[in-house]
Amino acid sequence: MVKRPFRRQKVADALLGYLFISPVILVIGTFTFFSMIYAFYLSFTKFDMFSSPLWTGLQNYRLLLGNPDFKRAMLNTVYYAVGVVPTQTLIAIGLAVLLNQKARGIPFFRAAYFVPTITSTVAASFIFMWLFLKQGVINHTLSLLHLPADNSWLENPLTAMPVLMLSAIWGTAPHFMVIFLAALQDIPQTVYEAVEIDGANTWQSFRHVTLPLLRPAIFLVAVLGTIGTFQVFDQMYIMTRGGPLDSTTSVVFLIWRTAFQDFNMGYASAMAVVLFAIIYALTILQRRTIDTNIQF
Amino acid sequence: MRKQIWSSIAVLGLAFTLVFALAGASLAAKEVTVRLSGWSSSPAEQKLVDDAIKSFEAKYPDIQVKYEPVVDTGQFPNKLKTMLASGTAPDVFYVDMSEAPGLMTRGLLSPLDKLMPSTKTKPEDFLSTLLEAFTYQGKIYGIPKDFNTLGLFYNKEMFDAAGVPYPTPDWTWEDLRAAAKKLTRDTDDPAKAQYGICLPIDAARWLPFLYQNGGAVLNAAGTKSLLDSEATVKALDFYTGFQLKEKTGVRNTDVGAGWGGDAFGKGKTAMVLEGGWLIPYLTQSFPNIKYGVVELPKGPKGRGNLYFTVAYAISGKSKNPEAAWKLIEHLTGAENQQKVLHSGFALPTRKALENDRYFQENPNIAAIFQGYAYARPFQYGVNSGRVLDELGKMLERVFLGKATPRESVSEAGKKIEELLK
Amino acid sequence: MRTLQSQEIAAKERPHTGQPQKERLQKERPRPGRRLTYTITVYALLVIIAAITLAPLAYTISGSFKTNAGVLEWPPRLIPKPPVTSNYAEVWNSSPLFPRWIVNSVFLALVHVAAELFFASLAGYAFARMKFPGRDLIFMIMLGTLMIPPPVTVVSKYIIVARLGWVNTYLGVIMPTLVTVFGVFLMTQFIRAIPKDLDEAATIDGCSRFGIYWRIVLPLSKPALSALAIFAFKDSWNEFMWSLTVLNSPELFTLPLGLNYFRGQFYTFWNLVLAGSMFNIAPILIVFIIFQRYFIKGIAMSGLKG
Repeated sequence: MVKRPFRRQKVADALLGYLFISPVILVIGTFTFFSMIYAFYLSFTKFDMFSSPLWTGLQNYRLLLGNPDFKRAMLNTVYYAVGVVPTQTLIAIGLAVLLNQKARGIPFFRAAYFVPTITSTVAASFIFMWLFLKQGVINHTLSLLHLPADNSWLENPLTAMPVLMLSAIWGTAPHFMVIFLAALQDIPQTVYEAVEIDGANTWQSFRHVTLPLLRPAIFLVAVLGTIGTFQVFDQMYIMTRGGPLDSTTSVVFLIWRTAFQDFNMGYASAMAVVLFAIIYALTILQRRTIDTNIQF
Repeated sequence: MRKQIWSSIAVLGLAFTLVFALAGASLAAKEVTVRLSGWSSSPAEQKLVDDAIKSFEAKYPDIQVKYEPVVDTGQFPNKLKTMLASGTAPDVFYVDMSEAPGLMTRGLLSPLDKLMPSTKTKPEDFLSTLLEAFTYQGKIYGIPKDFNTLGLFYNKEMFDAAGVPYPTPDWTWEDLRAAAKKLTRDTDDPAKAQYGICLPIDAARWLPFLYQNGGAVLNAAGTKSLLDSEATVKALDFYTGFQLKEKTGVRNTDVGAGWGGDAFGKGKTAMVLEGGWLIPYLTQSFPNIKYGVVELPKGPKGRGNLYFTVAYAISGKSKNPEAAWKLIEHLTGAENQQKVLHSGFALPTRKALENDRYFQENPNIAAIFQGYAYARPFQYGVNSGRVLDELGKMLERVFLGKATPRESVSEAGKKIEELLK
Repeated sequence: MRTLQSQEIAAKERPHTGQPQKERLQKERPRPGRRLTYTITVYALLVIIAAITLAPLAYTISGSFKTNAGVLEWPPRLIPKPPVTSNYAEVWNSSPLFPRWIVNSVFLALVHVAAELFFASLAGYAFARMKFPGRDLIFMIMLGTLMIPPPVTVVSKYIIVARLGWVNTYLGVIMPTLVTVFGVFLMTQFIRAIPKDLDEAATIDGCSRFGIYWRIVLPLSKPALSALAIFAFKDSWNEFMWSLTVLNSPELFTLPLGLNYFRGQFYTFWNLVLAGSMFNIAPILIVFIIFQRYFIKGIAMSGLKG
């Protein structure tokens, strides 16, 4: 092996390093990093894509404060998040605990539970639309139970959002189940043995050992879930178009509509920036709960 | 080491090129092509356009037409605007009369006046009120391809079974209400239920009732909302009353139908207000249904109807305006319009076809044509789309029991007033 | 930001039915009555939940074999009577576009998977093994962009893509997600956990940087690569919002977009809509059945994927 000058080799190696990361930098730099900065810029302009952006300062944000549609969309999104996140987290824990039991055929059930997660939102939305038709399977099941069964679920402003929530929970709970499953398997068996010697029953050991040890995972899932629900769009677009009577218009749906139907790019960007601020705050919350060492 | 950098650059470059090449391979080939886009509300409508394109390509072998229809009629104006904004709009596309003001004032369309002489086409060839919808500052921006008004479709077998005489053009609102009552039966059983009339949450079905009651949405200049009036409240109350008070009306969604015409075809309702587009749809999807069409009933303040028209326009950025014009000329030519008329799909915009034999032979389509005499344009200023959204929500609030007609009208009036600012 | 240590990854790769649980069960054996109740309860729950989870899908499959009258009949039945297979043929033949959408989706997914695997692992290798000024700073900033959810930048991204002339092209669909931060992060963490002596030995043997990456690191990264490949495939296969925004021409549509378009045409023909959906569900389901363990391991490997 020929010995080359040390410095030169280092410089060349560094250049090679830059080269290796260059595709990533180019893609992420343009479409995420720059794109975010550009969104900030656009949020201070009036821009319809047909003429050049016009600087309007804080005008968009001022309009946003008094905009009932935006307020409605925010409330809808919060409602959606509150409806989805706790339920999906609880279900995910339940599924994970169940799958952590020792029984024959667990891998089969694990796979079965996971199936909704790989179903696309488009297909899942069609399925739920159909199930919740007035003459659909859900109403039929209700009528068998002698419950009121003549609701047109997605055309009723009271029930449209809960249907969207259900379809989201169906699709995402199994995903988070896997995170809990991994967390459960990280709990050393010795801990259980110790409490068993102390005479704890199954519920007590779950309540006092499993649950506290799952706390970081619960925080993680709750925050990831919240961030996810704040980005909901596909379901609204496919199932309800934000209706009936705006009862399912989410923030992202409103952003999309403002940008690609009304061509109010600046205004839509201002909404996006506000949404970003909210999600950013939630992410910080996540980071803090993850970084903090939770003691038991 | 240097060699390494170069070979790595080569590998990376190759990878990038590969991605680009693969993605680029599917881009449109660069030929003398005219891209045409519009919506197609049914396979029947799409076939009419497909056939016209075939005969065009036979006539002009050097021009290739790429037809890119959008199925979702409601989404087409938005898609079109995105395409215009990003410079990817097709050369020729549909412009609905309600969208025309927004596009013309923004300078997104090519004026056609200079192209028209190349095929000896004159503005006088077309029905003048229709052409006006696409004229801005004295220039023509679109050639109306066809038009439609609404007629009252009725199921003859259901009328016979209920012993109700067929509707006549002289029917009043009371006659409509009484007939709907007699034609409604078995509403307890979703499988057998039959309703008198299908009245959906759709401004375009409710507006004729507003006009029949002497109401209006905007003033003549389109600067002020005239919606908040007693006439509107009464028209709204009448329209929603069929379902809410008398249980003789139904919305298409309540009976698992995609639209009113679908509910009618499936035998869920005895009557429906639709345009000529329903005729080929029934022929194709429900060939056994026996039906007739008459003019809409008269309201307390006389007759009222809507006319809908759609034009072909050329993008302001089209690279082949001459070829694009030839396509428009062919599609709106007398020969093609006659074919459209004879399919029963829509009414011709050329004066030459006003007295076509087909009208005498087909009282159904003639009934729809007669509505034109007193119909108002389905066009509500630069913000048409938003105004119609508000009217739709006004209907929805009442249907869902969220507001009384009076409350709902006043809220819609305020919202529309805001849109006009 | 959450950083995974190698031992953490190793811990999560442990099979789900580990040794410790066996010991626990043996301890329970002395109480046969309780053991039986336990087993029955567990199986009952497992079966009931599986039924609830799979019911929507079961009804979908059943609906796709019903006639149009059957799919809306009251009361609805689970077993189609009579079962028909014509829906699939009808969907497939409904327009020449349908097969095209499938081809488009497969094509886009393959390009996405290939690009993600190559570029993410290459950058991951650089971040994990090479030294260059600003490396850690760039890595941190890159991770920071994870906080920017895609819908927030959909408007500005669209305008950038429009300026580049990529609207209504596959470039516009592919480029913004050609390689993801998640992928780079996953690969960096994984490569860091690979013992260094392997590639050091290769350096001494005169292997080039790219050679080490290609011949040593890449083969050792197979578990991470397979998880990443599956995620990339799933994301691309199911993606909706961005392609909806960028694509206009029906012949460029992906299958999810196509299905939405298809529903616009056949919105009351639920038997066809459901059969159409099966074209979207079935391929990913097959991929899942084959590569199940990578799917599940992939999620467990990082809580970042939401």
